[in-house]
Amino acid sequence: MKRILVAVAIVIIAVIASLAATAGGALGPLFDGVRSLAEFYLFNVFNAHNATLTAMSPEAVTSIVWDYRGLDTLFETVVFYMAIIGCVALYRGIELVRDGPEVGLSRIVKTVTKILIVVNIAIAASIALHGHLTPGGGFQAGAAMAVAPIIIIVVFSRFFLMKRGVTKEVALSLRSMGLLGIALVALIPLVAWAATGTVAYVMQNQVKIDSSFSFPAYIGNALVSGSLIWYNIFEFLAVTFGFTIVFLLLSVDEKTVKNALRGEEHEH
Amino acid sequence: MADLTMVLLAIFAGISLFFAYLAISERNLVRALIYSAVQSSAFAFVFYLLRAPDIVLVYVPISVGIYPAAILFLIRKTKEVEEP
Amino acid sequence: MSISPIDLFLGNFVLIAIIGTIAISLYGIVAKPNLIKKIIALTIFTDTANVLAIIIGFRKPPSAPPVFIGNLARPPSLEELRSFATIAVDPLPQALVLTAIVIGMAVNLLIIFITLQVYRLYGTVDMRRVRELRG
Repeated sequence: MKRILVAVAIVIIAVIASLAATAGGALGPLFDGVRSLAEFYLFNVFNAHNATLTAMSPEAVTSIVWDYRGLDTLFETVVFYMAIIGCVALYRGIELVRDGPEVGLSRIVKTVTKILIVVNIAIAASIALHGHLTPGGGFQAGAAMAVAPIIIIVVFSRFFLMKRGVTKEVALSLRSMGLLGIALVALIPLVAWAATGTVAYVMQNQVKIDSSFSFPAYIGNALVSGSLIWYNIFEFLAVTFGFTIVFLLLSVDEKTVKNALRGEEHEH
Repeated sequence: MADLTMVLLAIFAGISLFFAYLAISERNLVRALIYSAVQSSAFAFVFYLLRAPDIVLVYVPISVGIYPAAILFLIRKTKEVEEP
Repeated sequence: MSISPIDLFLGNFVLIAIIGTIAISLYGIVAKPNLIKKIIALTIFTDTANVLAIIIGFRKPPSAPPVFIGNLARPPSLEELRSFATIAVDPLPQALVLTAIVIGMAVNLLIIFITLQVYRLYGTVDMRRVRELRG
């Protein structure tokens, strides 16, 4: 009770401070326009008249993440990969058995979870595939779909997931396949350079000033935005299975881990 | 009179300040985690009001789903109540 | 263009509330000895820093998210693009915050695993007792 009063007092102090700041002439976060760099991005992101500066996607944030600043995203994916490798390395020597008692929560919770997981996976796939047209993309879809293994591990049990084939090795190889897909899409322009002789750059999306290589922006009548859709699909695969590995490792019970650690100490 | 966006922004920023203080000063770790999750939901509204729908789609599963789940696993394994 | 004083006051309150949250979470990281409380305070701190980065790119209402809405079967005309560029908010801070959220989450997951390892080796998560036991 005393802490709630202290919290309310903090909010009232903030109100008084902002009254003083407004009377003193502070400006607040209401700006008139945006910077000229932002206007450049917004004007050129779906502009077929400026063919050498465009990304052919109506969604500005996804095209900045995978086209204009694609190398930032590549290295961020590498950082995430290294963190998962670090987590796996902290658990070396502990093997996850596949057989165990499948005790979960009650029947009502299990039935509701079965419906919710199907809805979750469908929505996550939709976010990934529409990432270049509406707000969405690879990370968003991967984070949304990562909730499904967490709920399955808690409601059913870890052994339910592992008996049906989602083990640590399978998840690691699927994650590596997703990263391999991203690397392949990034290196396709170099292959085209070697094959045909036109200059092309790594992670290139549409035509540039001195390079006429381009991923197709429209397939039939559908707007595909060049390489953005392939990046989104492979990133979705990689992020989902990264989170699956982390939660499979976190749910191992402490007795198994203590036996493995104590066995290591006796060996020395 | 006043813009609806600014009024809602002020309300949710105030809610987040309130629950941030409660989360840091609470002794029981599970309750501190629940207060932190409520504060993250208030921030999700703030991100939506600042016209950033991509960030909302990343922020809600991570900050209200994955962080509390991982920290709850951690609390259950260490079985600790915070001491002064 | 003139902004009404009520909007100015509400905007200042938002900024001061966010600075207050940063201060509270910094106090939580530094002053609380339990490692799990430090992790919770660290997540609040990184989220608040991301909100501050996105507020800098905000535009006065009426404004729209940086997604072009229209007929997608053919590329748009120059007038549609100019009106889109005068009403949308800044997309660059949002892209950078997306990267920052993913990197912050990777580091936090690794910190959670290392905390688990500290508990297994020392038997406690309280940093004062770990400091005594380490001799």
